[in-house]
Amino acid sequence: MSLNFYRRVAFGLSPNENPDKDPLNWAINQLDTIPDLLWPGTIPTEKDLRKKYGEWVYGDREVLRKKFKNDKHAYRKAKDELRIKTGERYFELNEHAIRHFQTKYSKQPVFERFWLFWGNHFAISEKDFLAEFSTGPYQREIIRPNMVKTFEEMVQSVTTSWCMIHHLDNSESFGPNSKKGMEWGETINENHARELLELHTVSPNAGYTQEDVIQLAYIMTGWAHKWDRKNLETGDIWFDQEMHQKGDKIVLGVKYKNDAKRELAKVIHDLATHPICIKFVSTKLCRHFITDEPTEEMIDPVIEAWNKSNGNLIEIHKAVITQAYKYNEITHKFHPPEIWLMQLSRMFDLNIPLSFEKMNYTFKSKPNNRQRQLSWILREIGHSPYRAKQPNGWSDLEVDWVSPELLLRRFWFASVELPMLVKSGNRSHGFILSCLKNNFEDHENMASLIDNFRFGTSDYDLGQKYGVICNLPGVLKI
Amino acid sequence: MNCTRRNFLIGGSTTLFLSGYFPKISFASMQKKNLIIISLRGGMDGLTAVPVIGDKRLKKLRKKLILEDVLNLNSDFGLHPKLEIFHKLWQKNQAAFVHATNIPYTGRSHFDGQNLMETGAHIPYKEKTGWLGRGLLASNIIGKGLAISLPMPLLLRGVPQNNNFFPSPDFVETKLIDQIYNEFKGEHNELIKSTLDTIRQRPLSMQIATDSDDRKKLALEAAKQLKDQSGPRVAVFDLDGFDTHAAQGGVDGAHADELEEVNKIVTILHENLGQAFDNTLILTLTEFGRTIKQNGGYGTEHGYGSAILMAGGLLKKSQVYTDWPGLKKKELFEGRDLNSTIDSRAVYNSAMSICFNQDPEFLRKKVFWGDELPDLSQELFKI
Repeated sequence: MSLNFYRRVAFGLSPNENPDKDPLNWAINQLDTIPDLLWPGTIPTEKDLRKKYGEWVYGDREVLRKKFKNDKHAYRKAKDELRIKTGERYFELNEHAIRHFQTKYSKQPVFERFWLFWGNHFAISEKDFLAEFSTGPYQREIIRPNMVKTFEEMVQSVTTSWCMIHHLDNSESFGPNSKKGMEWGETINENHARELLELHTVSPNAGYTQEDVIQLAYIMTGWAHKWDRKNLETGDIWFDQEMHQKGDKIVLGVKYKNDAKRELAKVIHDLATHPICIKFVSTKLCRHFITDEPTEEMIDPVIEAWNKSNGNLIEIHKAVITQAYKYNEITHKFHPPEIWLMQLSRMFDLNIPLSFEKMNYTFKSKPNNRQRQLSWILREIGHSPYRAKQPNGWSDLEVDWVSPELLLRRFWFASVELPMLVKSGNRSHGFILSCLKNNFEDHENMASLIDNFRFGTSDYDLGQKYGVICNLPGVLKI
Repeated sequence: MNCTRRNFLIGGSTTLFLSGYFPKISFASMQKKNLIIISLRGGMDGLTAVPVIGDKRLKKLRKKLILEDVLNLNSDFGLHPKLEIFHKLWQKNQAAFVHATNIPYTGRSHFDGQNLMETGAHIPYKEKTGWLGRGLLASNIIGKGLAISLPMPLLLRGVPQNNNFFPSPDFVETKLIDQIYNEFKGEHNELIKSTLDTIRQRPLSMQIATDSDDRKKLALEAAKQLKDQSGPRVAVFDLDGFDTHAAQGGVDGAHADELEEVNKIVTILHENLGQAFDNTLILTLTEFGRTIKQNGGYGTEHGYGSAILMAGGLLKKSQVYTDWPGLKKKELFEGRDLNSTIDSRAVYNSAMSICFNQDPEFLRKKVFWGDELPDLSQELFKI
């Protein structure tokens, strides 16, 4: 088995890890439990961060905008101060550190790859202040605990999470015949219903109609944040019967009797166990771990495991890994920038993220450059994980990641930035060679390409070496 | 305000629309024509950029946002003083505006709206390609798109081999690429290899690190590329910050700062395109306009109708092209927003037909699913 399997399903091997005698077993054994988050620094709860979100939007919208309505300069200054006080510029940096630390040091790196996958399948795109306050804790508290449950349970949790409801506007969706809908002349917002069908479960392959979307939106009406004057939109999610569309609904030919809040669980059950959903999501899993266009032959065993286990994600994950192992030698997969960075960080033991002590924040001034470094790198290489542009998340296709500028950014990172992240004890040529040997079959050929610089340990020399090896075809793509 | 709905569309687009399209073969059509789109994200306020003159209702509803010293366009409309370049070009018939226009989207979500302004579709997130990308593909113009951004914007997706320019913070030694170029073997590395080819063929000016936060430098480089007869034919710029819910201000407010950015880009393009400016169209694109009425923070909320700012030598004449819907309460969209009486996609479709030497009818079918979009080429552009 090629060493690239450790990058196919994880992040490669760190300098103190060795290849396992049984790589398939090594990978499969990582999926039964949820590894603890290892970040030794602050890990705030979703609820705490939502409170901060509330302080920020309330302070800006209800206080500052009114106070400084005649003075844009004073307004900007006051707003900047509020950003500092509420951590608006800080929490996302901390979330990136938590995430990166996990992929770097986790004893179950294969599990972590699935964590990234599901977080992107149920993506929260860049909207309002979600990336600043909410997407990180959503990944930790909604996605992660569900990874040892069933797919259906995952969809239930995601669909009623504050983050997804805010992201897809379900709080603004009123049943036109509901009490509030009638009183206020409001109607549905289809956004969340459409994405639940299109992106999260059955996909357009199910052939649903606009009427199906409307009917599902009716079922979803009432699932909203509890609004009040102080917390605005950051209140808890509840089911507001007065927003809920009365009457029976029909989605994809199935009738759902008027049953208030229980309707949603029923329809999610049907969607999450729909054969087309199973095929759609199995295909996406294979696309992520095997190749951009997986064949039916590759996907079928995953579908089989899904059906046999009634959608148990542990079993599904194991089937995906088994397939990835089976096809490891004959398929190729291009990795998007964030995974590439995580792999480089683990394989070469780079000095990211910043230590938790230095990440500590006092809410008294702007986060410093060192604290911003990892997030800045992610942005510069084009893959700030919690800022996908659309609700369909980041693409998993090579074609979307191979633009001239996006490739150049990788050359830039590896040759200019990476040398500054090499730990002082790791600057020798021998260190690079041992890392290459640990992770690549053709390490000798790779070494020959950087042999000219074997005596150099300056940042420039390291830049010449890493600039080359990090962008070789077998590194960009397994 | 003399402009009314009556003196609009007289004899114009609909007849041409029926008469079919006969491309003219002339020297001008052999010259490369450039289409530049500047996305204005956040909702550009058409009534701030191109204010209607002497409307008492507007004055009353926007007491704190009124512009005192507008630049003069005609008896009906003025121009925001920060949009100087458009005023200068207006004198030479090289600037024009379409007013009370928008994509057919009446929701007020930035995200849905921006998705639709780029896909040109009716349902958010349904289409995965942009109208400009589809237009290029339908016109068989491949590898001629240049995005001034790091990710390939949705607007340009749908056609392969686009270039993008958004340099990294530091210089990248492209000799690194030469060192490993030959390592990319086999069919599965073709895409990366051909992209490395694109990088290696870049002119030196594009290889030199610059500051991607400096829009002037980006615009300058884009102008250089567009000027080249064998260079890109389409460029896409991205600006954001138009979502001025507070302290929007008048001549010097937050919205003015954003308009100043547009002005900068167009100024640089104009200065540096030289002769090529005569064969260029620059158009803005936004997701919606803003409410007529100022809000409690002296800003405005998300609205509907907005304006398209246009510049370039391919414009027919200086004009504010509009089917003005009026600003009385009953004339407003849902009683609060400037209405949209022109589907802005008709403007973009017509612009593509001019710049890509393509039948607008053909493009309308290929790009916009045959939606009813009148051909405005004759009214707006030189044909």
